[in-house]
Amino acid sequence: MTLQKDPERNEIRHLRKVVDLADKRVLEIGCGEGRLTWQYAKWTASIVAMDLDHDSLRVAKVDRPYDLERIVHLACADSHDLPFSKEKFDIAILAWSL
Amino acid sequence: MVHALSEIHRVLMPDGVLIDMRPLANHWPVEVISGHGFEETGRADDLPDQLNADTSSNEAMREAESRNWFKHEQDGFFPFFYVWDTPSEMEEFISEEWTDFAQLSEEAKRATRSAWALGDADSRVRVRMKVLLSRWKKI
Repeated sequence: MTLQKDPERNEIRHLRKVVDLADKRVLEIGCGEGRLTWQYAKWTASIVAMDLDHDSLRVAKVDRPYDLERIVHLACADSHDLPFSKEKFDIAILAWSL
Repeated sequence: MVHALSEIHRVLMPDGVLIDMRPLANHWPVEVISGHGFEETGRADDLPDQLNADTSSNEAMREAESRNWFKHEQDGFFPFFYVWDTPSEMEEFISEEWTDFAQLSEEAKRATRSAWALGDADSRVRVRMKVLLSRWKKI
């Protein structure tokens, strides 16, 4: 099946209009296979991209561009019990996950 | 959901920003597109799970605001397109992947197949999803 999601890249365009991602530490909740993550990662200081779906995270790990390996950290975690200390991120993105 | 928002509040820096981005039920238009433009051929039917998800999410954000965790700064909407080469691919995807969220009426399916068949050689089909993008600041 040929399916294209957001071929006009409206999502990243609108996201960048409302938040400055430059050099920020980002927590993305609901990263899935990383469709959105890869599009903005290059501007950030670091990203923890998390999801509960193991299969999606497996795909994300395979698809993660080599030059983003030190920026994007993938995690299987539950948003109800975030495994991070307090005040660790500048931006949190609920990516289709609230 | 409210507990997840309290967790996000905890891990954000003072003045940190929360972005809530999610699709909203909106009888998403179905369109046939080609190099010449697009034609709306019907609308998807919203199903209870999507409507309930919208209500629960909105209530959770209101609760987070009432507890002084976050201050609402702005709302915006944008179209997010799912695009397929053929109507049958679209129908298969929607029936398998959006089972609880949206469905197509027989009338919408027929109109889409017809417009696609009569359209240009490069015709494709798409669903125009409405996505909310709201920005909140940690208090």
